[in-house]
Parts: sequence; C-alpha cells; structure tokens
Amino acid sequence: MIQHVLRVILFVIVTSLAVTGPSFATPAKEAPWLPEAAAYRLTLFLGNLAPVPWYKVEQAWSEPYHGSEYRLGALAWLDRESAVDVGDLTDAIGWQDRHAVHVAATRLIALRIEEELDAATAADNPAVSQRAVATAKELYRAFADHIKAADPDAARTLGRAWLELNNATGSAGVLGAGAKEQDSDAMTTARAVISAYLAENYLVADPAPRQTLTAVPEAIARTGQPVELPAALPPGSDIFDQDPLPLLVLNFEEQGIDETDLPLIAYGDMLFDSAEIFGGPARDLGIACSTCHNRSDINQRFFIPGASHQPGAVDVDGAFFNPMFNDRRDDPIDIPSLRGLRFTGPYGRDGRFASLRDFSRNVIVNEFAGEEPTPFMLDALVAYMTEFDFLPNSLVTGDGQLTEAAPDAARRGEEVFNRPFVGMGNQSCASCHTPSGNFLDRKSHDIGSVAAAYEGSHAGALDTPTLLGTLYTAPYFHDGALPTLASVVNWFDETKNLGLTDAERSDLTAYLETVGAADEPYEAFDTANTPFRLAFAELTTFASTLDTLLPKRDAQHILVLTDTVAADLAADAGTMANLSSRPEVYALAERLAEVGAAVRAENWAAAETSWSLFKTDAAAIEEKAF
Amino acid sequence: MMPRLNRRHLLILAAAGLVSQPMPALAQSDPLRLAFIPQENPDKLLGDIKAITAWLSSEIGVPVEGFVTIDHAAAVEALRNGDADISFMGALPFVLAEREIGAIPLLSEVYRDTPSYTGRVFVRRDSGFKMLADLEGRDIAFADPISESGYMYPLAEFERAGLVSSPDAAEDFFGRIFFAGGYQQAMQAMAEGLVDAAGASQYADLLLTPEQQSQVTWIAESDAIPSHVVIARPELDAELRENFVAAMMKLNMPEHRDKLRYLYGPDGYVEADPSVFDGVRTMAQRFGLL
Repeated sequence: MIQHVLRVILFVIVTSLAVTGPSFATPAKEAPWLPEAAAYRLTLFLGNLAPVPWYKVEQAWSEPYHGSEYRLGALAWLDRESAVDVGDLTDAIGWQDRHAVHVAATRLIALRIEEELDAATAADNPAVSQRAVATAKELYRAFADHIKAADPDAARTLGRAWLELNNATGSAGVLGAGAKEQDSDAMTTARAVISAYLAENYLVADPAPRQTLTAVPEAIARTGQPVELPAALPPGSDIFDQDPLPLLVLNFEEQGIDETDLPLIAYGDMLFDSAEIFGGPARDLGIACSTCHNRSDINQRFFIPGASHQPGAVDVDGAFFNPMFNDRRDDPIDIPSLRGLRFTGPYGRDGRFASLRDFSRNVIVNEFAGEEPTPFMLDALVAYMTEFDFLPNSLVTGDGQLTEAAPDAARRGEEVFNRPFVGMGNQSCASCHTPSGNFLDRKSHDIGSVAAAYEGSHAGALDTPTLLGTLYTAPYFHDGALPTLASVVNWFDETKNLGLTDAERSDLTAYLETVGAADEPYEAFDTANTPFRLAFAELTTFASTLDTLLPKRDAQHILVLTDTVAADLAADAGTMANLSSRPEVYALAERLAEVGAAVRAENWAAAETSWSLFKTDAAAIEEKAF
Repeated sequence: MMPRLNRRHLLILAAAGLVSQPMPALAQSDPLRLAFIPQENPDKLLGDIKAITAWLSSEIGVPVEGFVTIDHAAAVEALRNGDADISFMGALPFVLAEREIGAIPLLSEVYRDTPSYTGRVFVRRDSGFKMLADLEGRDIAFADPISESGYMYPLAEFERAGLVSSPDAAEDFFGRIFFAGGYQQAMQAMAEGLVDAAGASQYADLLLTPEQQSQVTWIAESDAIPSHVVIARPELDAELRENFVAAMMKLNMPEHRDKLRYLYGPDGYVEADPSVFDGVRTMAQRFGLL
C-alpha cells in the first residue's frame, strides 16, 4: 500500500505559517503547534462532534495534546507564559456552553497574539522582538487557514503584514556580527494591519452563534455566506503509516504470480489504497482502508482526537466520519489485523457480518460515508483482501503445532493452553483458539471483556480473533485495553480464576508469543527497496489495470483509478531519497491525470496515447525511483 | 557588541534546563558539559538532552551534563568561560567562534549521506521564472540575514550571475527583500504568492504541502554548505575529547541510531574536516561578519 506519509503533512501544515526562531536546522523541520493554538483547534474539532465530548474539550486545555513536544497543557502553559485571563474559557467549559467556549477560546487566541505583538513592539532588541513575532505568528496559525478560505484578499494583506513585521524586527546577528536594528515605524505600521483585523473579527463584543465552530472571521461568518474550509485534522492527529511498516504477504505473490497479470486484484489493491471510495472527511483527508490497515495489518500509531481513545484505535461509527452513521456512543475499537482474512470470518469485532463483501460495503457506505460501490469494486476489493496471508512463522506448522525450533517455554505453555479450566467452563484456551483452525473457531463468545451496555444486555460477545501474527499487533482485546500478551494471560488467570503459577503464566505467554511470531514481520527497507520505490511499484501496478479498463471504455472505474494514483504519485514524490528526480515523477503523475482528463472528455484516442506515454515514462524513471 | 555572560548568568539561564546525570561511581568528578542551541521547542530539547547525556555518560565514563543556552553567543561565551566544554553549532557561528576563542570542530552532521547541504532559490512553477535574471525588480523572501542557506549562499548566486555586485547592493536588484523569519515562512510566502521567490535550504520545499511541493521549483543552487558541527573549547582535555568523539561516532551504528533524534535528528555524524569551512569563512568575510 502506498505510503501516505506526505498526505499527513497536508493536514498538519496546511495552515502552518510559523516556526520558532531563525532557520538553524540543516534539514527542514515543521514547527510544533503552540499549546494554546493546538487546544483552540482541538476545541473547534471536538465542539463539532455530536454529542460534544466535554471531558475531551477540558482535556484539550488541561493536558498536552497527543504527541506534543510541550510538557505542559495549554492552561498551565498560559499560566507560565501569558497574563491573559482564562477565566471566561474555563467557566464556559464548566458550563458546557458550546457558544461561550467558542467565543472565549477565539478571544483568548486573539488576545495572545496581541500580547505577543505588544511584546514585540516594546522590545528593545531584535532577538526578543523576533521571538515575540514568531510566537504571535504561531498563534495566528490557529486562524490562518480559515481566514484564507473565507477572506482570501485579507489573508494576502495579512500575509504581507506578517512579512513586513518580521522583516522590521531587525537581526541580533550572530555572535555580535551582522546585527541589524529594528525599524519601529515599520513594525508599528505592519502590526496595525494585523491588530485591526483581529479587532474586527476575533475580538468583537458579541459574536454570533455558529452552527459549526470555525475560525472563520466574524465579518464573514455574520454574512452567512458558505465557506469551504480545507480538510484538516486537529493537532495531535497521526495518520502516518506505522514504523516499522508491516510486511505484506499476498498469496499470489508467494506463488510467483505477478499482480499486473491479475487486473481484478490489482484494481482491488488500488481501491484498498484509495480515499476516492469514501466520502466526507475521510475522502478529503486522504484516509483509505490502508491508512488503518497498513499492508493488510494494523496501524499502531493511528490517532484522531475525538475518534481514538488511544493510538491504534478508532470509533468508526462516531460523529466524525459519517454523521448519518453516528451511534452517539464513544466506543472506539482497536484496529484489527486483516491478515489471513479468508480464514477469519465472520467479520467485525462482534462478527456481525458473515460476508466480507457485506462488511466491506458497510465500511465504505456507512462508516466512511462513501457512495454505493459498484459490484465490480466490491468484487475487486474482496478479491484483493482474500489474498492477505498470515505471516510465515517457522515456529509453528500450518496446523498449529509447534516445530522443533520452538523454545521449551513455549512447549510447556502449549500444555497450559490445551488444559481445560473449571473457570472457563471446563474449556481450554484451545477450545476457541483452535490450533488446527488458524487459532480461531469462527464463533463469538462473551468472555466478560465488554461492559454491559445496560442491565440485562447480551452485547458482550465478540468474534474469536486469531493468535497468528499477534506478537506485532499490541494492544489486545477489542478496545486495546491490554498492552501485552502477558497482560492477556494475567487477565484470564485473574478473571477466570485459573490458578496459574508464575511459571505457568510465563510459559503460556511464551507460547502465545511463539504462535504469534513471524520470520519477517516488517518490510525491510534498504537502498534498493526504499519506501518510495515500494510505493512507485505499487502505483504503477495499480495503473496497469488501465490495460484492461481502457479497451472496455469503463470510464467510471478508470476515473477512480486515475484520480487516486495520479494524486498519490505526486504526493509520494516527496518521500524520494533521490529528490532530484521529483520533477519527473510529477510529470508522470500529470501524464496519468491526462488519461483521466481525456476519459472525462470521452476522447478515448487521447486517453490511449497518454496511457502509452505513461508506460514509457514510468519504465524510464523506474531505475531512478528511489 | 556581543553580550558577555559570566558563570552566574549562565547558571541562571541553565537553571530551568540543567539536566545532569550524576555518576558518583565514576573516576572523574568534573562533568563534561554540553551546550545546546535552542532550535525549536525548548521543552522537547530538555527531554532530549536528558536522554542523550545519560547515554553519553555511560559510554564515556564521566558524568555528562547538558544545558540550553539562549543563543550561539551564549554558547560561545560558555565555551570561553569553561562553563561548557562542547557545543552544537551551525557552520557560520562556528567560524566566528573559531576566530573568537579558537573553537575546534569535532563532528559534522550527516544528512542524506553527506555532511553538507545547499541553498536554493525557489519559485512557483507557474511564475515563468527560469533564471535569476528574471527576478529583477521582483520580491524575494529569505529566511534570516544570518542564515547560510536561507540568505547568504542563495544571494551569492545572484552575485555569481553578475546581477548583484555585493550583498549591500542587493536591494538595487530586487523589488523588495524580506527576511521572513525561517525557511518555512519564506517558502510559504513564495508558495502563496506573497513574494515571487524564496531563498532557503535545499530541503525547505519539504515543509510545503505535497500539493505545494509539486507547484514549486528551484532555479539556482549554491555551493555546498558544511552542515552543523559539534565544537569544543580548545582547552578541553584531548583524551576526553577523543572519547566524546568515539562515543558520538557510535551513533552511526544501527543499534544506536535511534538516539540521533535527541540531537537535532541528523542521519549520523562524521569527524569534522576543518578545511571544509573555508568557504564559510570566505562567505562570512564577504558579508562583513568576519
């Protein structure tokens, strides 16, 4: 699957206009969000969920955001760094008054910008002035993309004002050399432009209530004119692929069959990697099946505030992805691996779908608000996903028996695994995790890991998961409540009164770790197999289905392909080690986009020509694609 | 005038950031002191320093302390006073520190297999600008007036092309020159059309969105600029210096590479070659800094 690494940058820095300090670093590095700016954007995001998760709004201000490089939460940070009063904000959060929170938080950010601008203009040396301007601009980042979307002319005027302001701060030089004095008049003039806009739009006395919380300037918001805001996830979101990247094992590939000879599967592979099949924010944000299921497995770092309770988890029927499918329950689940998918039905954590086809349709249409997929698309997706194989593991035979290479502790653990326990109704672990059946029984059981939804409910039964490959899929259980396989053993021992000794627990853990192991769990990158080369090979393989689709004049499915692959090819170019070849990759992406444009214009001859040129160009740059 | 800092001043600065790793069992009681220049969030830097100094202590066998200075001048002053033994520094501050206190380069950072990088002049693809001469009368954003790749080296390309006679005469060629405050600000200003061009590190376009990256290109590239350097005060004990270098070189080994993220995130280190800084010395002279 394609690396969506750079797509994430789109979400993270689309509004990024500031970085602390001058350009010290040799390589480029994006600046972290300031705590209060991050809290503000989190507040907008969370405040638009239904129901509003108020405890998360409170956390957004009281705790460092996920992955923050700052040790302090926004309120503690403000207490240390600012004299701006936060009382209105904390009161509003306490009242759970959505409008009041928006007003107070917006005002707080505007006041912080003013506070830093005051410091910048009052400073008597360039270094202090520059730091204050840089901080002010980082705070402005909380508003910037919404200003640009709603009021582009003002955004440009403000952009020049920020340039003028920074330029006028002078320079402290380096070690006393090259110092340049501040230009106070120019600073005052530029600052006035910024302050006037803030006063008019973010420090107004009585802002109008908003149906959707945004940083759109008040003057625009009051007009009621629709504003198309750029898709963005809040600070703390992480939809990078996990590192190390899971190894993908495809049944046909292991048999030496080339994916380019399997057009249905190749098209399904493309769909698995395509945000085009989804709707709503998932599509706009570039989220695809593979975003959560990296290389058929999981993504341990996936995290979206408000939709994830911890990394590697997501609430797919919450308020964010598809309001129509919002069950209004905060019930994120740990992302399951899809390895060995053809052996692991029924599907869904509680096994609610007997058919992988039905499960896939539900993911596309209901969970991620996509259009109804065509039968061909579902056929392709199922054809591709049923090629996912378990990771080869030389410690276990195909029928679940330990091999000679397995450690002694695992052998002792195997006996415990097969031992019936009174606490489990005289069943053993192996009763459900049947070794000869890929360590599952294709049934659902209530083992007591799910809290009752209401008194007398029977909602706790979950589909038995396989144990194969699980050494690399922590955490465990449907909600990821248990961090290690050892903690799973402990949970069963304690909740089922198994009476295991310490040695037995250790041995049983060793058995699980042996069964769950793999010879090569992760993709091994080197100079010959770089992330970009992997992505390039996959994308050109996806494109190869045009050899089948173009002769059929199948415009609908061609356009899904060209829209997906052309965009991904261009986006992935930034991951190239050989950065000098990026222009050629951009040109290649444009060539594929030309195929799509020709198909849209029903100019099939032009489409064929562009496709032919794409193949020639792709072959020419393949050797440089690293 | 360069601000003069005394030991008391430095300790006050360091109070919030001092993260020492006392090693009473070790033979040497005097710690090796590392000065770090804040590049981004100081909070993160403090955590990074704690991690790397602990590891260096275990490798070198002496206590290692790290602290954050307010800027390069403070770091150099700390080296001069003996409050710091070693500092992390850019190439330009190093050549100035070399002149000031005889600082010695120990290690150079490696990025993408090389201990150097370049500055480039970026433009939008749709701008039609193909060569530096096309930018006459146009607005350009540089990162900072003391940035090698974000000002000095890109501007030198205009001199090389015969478009600018000296740094002081640059304003005669351009419409406006802005110092935007950093690579990212300069590149965003260019990408968003606020200015016509940007002078920044060769890697600076990676700070743009993927869509923006495909919309920009560069029309000039500078000579190689030595990457950041780890320097020592000249009086530092030679054996301790060698031990430090040996420990740092271990960071290139696969089992230790994860620790590079605590040190500004290079891909590795090589032992510094003092001769590679000749170009920086010349550039500093040309800009009146040396």
